[in-house]
Amino acid sequence: MTKGNTAVPKVFYTQPDGTERVVEAEAGDSVMQAAVRNGVPGILAQCGGSLSCATCHVFLDERHADDFPPVSEDEDDMLDVAATDREDNSRLSCQLVLTEGQEVHVAIPETQL
Amino acid sequence: MTTTPGTEYPFGPVTPSEGVAHIGRLVADRPMTKMTMPYGGDVWLVHRNAAARKILSDRRFVREPFRTGERVVPFFVPFPDFLRGTLQFEDPPQHTKLRKLVQKAISPKRVREMRDSAVAFANELIDGMIARGGVRDLVTEYSLALPIEMLSSLLGVPSSDREKFERWSSSTLAVAGKTEAEVAADMAELAGYMSDLIAKRRAEPRDDLLSSLAHARDRDETLTDAEILPIAFILIVGGFDNTATFLSTGVLSLLRSDDQRAVFLTDPDGLAPTTAEEVLRHGGFVIAPMVGGGGGLVPFVATEDVEIDGQLIAKGEAVSIDMVTAGHDPTAVADPGRFDITRTDNAHLTLSHGLHHCLGAPLARMELQVGLAELFKRIPDLKLAGEPVFDRTVLTQPMTSLPVTW
Repeated sequence: MTKGNTAVPKVFYTQPDGTERVVEAEAGDSVMQAAVRNGVPGILAQCGGSLSCATCHVFLDERHADDFPPVSEDEDDMLDVAATDREDNSRLSCQLVLTEGQEVHVAIPETQL
Repeated sequence: MTTTPGTEYPFGPVTPSEGVAHIGRLVADRPMTKMTMPYGGDVWLVHRNAAARKILSDRRFVREPFRTGERVVPFFVPFPDFLRGTLQFEDPPQHTKLRKLVQKAISPKRVREMRDSAVAFANELIDGMIARGGVRDLVTEYSLALPIEMLSSLLGVPSSDREKFERWSSSTLAVAGKTEAEVAADMAELAGYMSDLIAKRRAEPRDDLLSSLAHARDRDETLTDAEILPIAFILIVGGFDNTATFLSTGVLSLLRSDDQRAVFLTDPDGLAPTTAEEVLRHGGFVIAPMVGGGGGLVPFVATEDVEIDGQLIAKGEAVSIDMVTAGHDPTAVADPGRFDITRTDNAHLTLSHGLHHCLGAPLARMELQVGLAELFKRIPDLKLAGEPVFDRTVLTQPMTSLPVTW
């Protein structure tokens, strides 16, 4: 894995208590996958990214609002039924796919269940 | 195939600590073992947690050949027909459509809304046990009653019909020790009853699961009665029998573990979530004098040759996740033999993962958390008044009796 040539994507996860953890991901990973692989608590992702559990809910920092494709109809439906009420910047982290060099800040909600 | 001594599979019965050690050697030796099942032939049983997760998120493993009958499900018993018609045997895109509809009704949000009523009902049940006093049967008076009530509210079964519903439901897995003919008659009666109820909810919708499924056809998705009925069946099967056994197992695990019960009693509400996960992972090892390994979750079939963790799974071969070994894989779970209700990083696969992860998982978890917390808050001196009874003659081997007193 030649990480030296290109900047790997980085995800900054902020927990409900305010603590932040930075994770280096691979291009093509989702924000959900990067969390699960690195044991970031608070992102359960029971369905593994098949848009059927609403347990990888995150709040995407406003500065990245235009960096990802908009919320699809399926994602919108699942966000409606997440355990923590959705806000304007709510996303399912399995739908946030990272590109090379991208840096993303997300906040993890109080609960996923 | 020759097997390294000490890594045989299937294995047991052995003591729980020997079982944990055996699994440790097994997962160090290989990711999976091919096993011939009493029905349906060979299946790969996957032991390593990471390999299991890879398979569960790989769409090249499907269930279609089981549903169509092209292939027999490799299993311990002939796989019940009524379960082969359900959501868990569908693949995308049909699966996606059905799953999305049902999951919205058993969503994390919906389950949070049900939590208060679960707490209230658990306390009603506890009131009843306290009032009757003496030795009570925790299974019938608590562990079964709570999920049945929750499931009935979710499905929208009128409270006046709940007794009938309970009889039919318990018959689906023959926990009541009925003959085959009696079970078939009960199943037919249940199907008739549910069809009637679906028709009523189509005509006059309410705020329940059957109504939302029945009215899905008014939007872009369409759901027929033939599609709704199996969904109702699978919720009934998973929704009370398994949940009840998890809850009874949780209570018994805490009763058998003085140090963890003492920890739990310091903060039942706060510790309920991690306790529930630890019960799902390891409860079976805490309550049983002897354990074994050999079997897993509902299998998949490989649609092409796939190499997982160095092992080739050939096109057409069946593969199943052994959640017992995956939950005790020391590379995924630190010190897997320790019953630790404060464990926060609990990578068990008891409710599976991925596309087919347990449909009722949010509900099952909530019931387990509420069921344990309320019981020990109200009766902190709860103790065993006899040995638990299991019904080994049915598919899920439920706990049918657990005498307790205080």
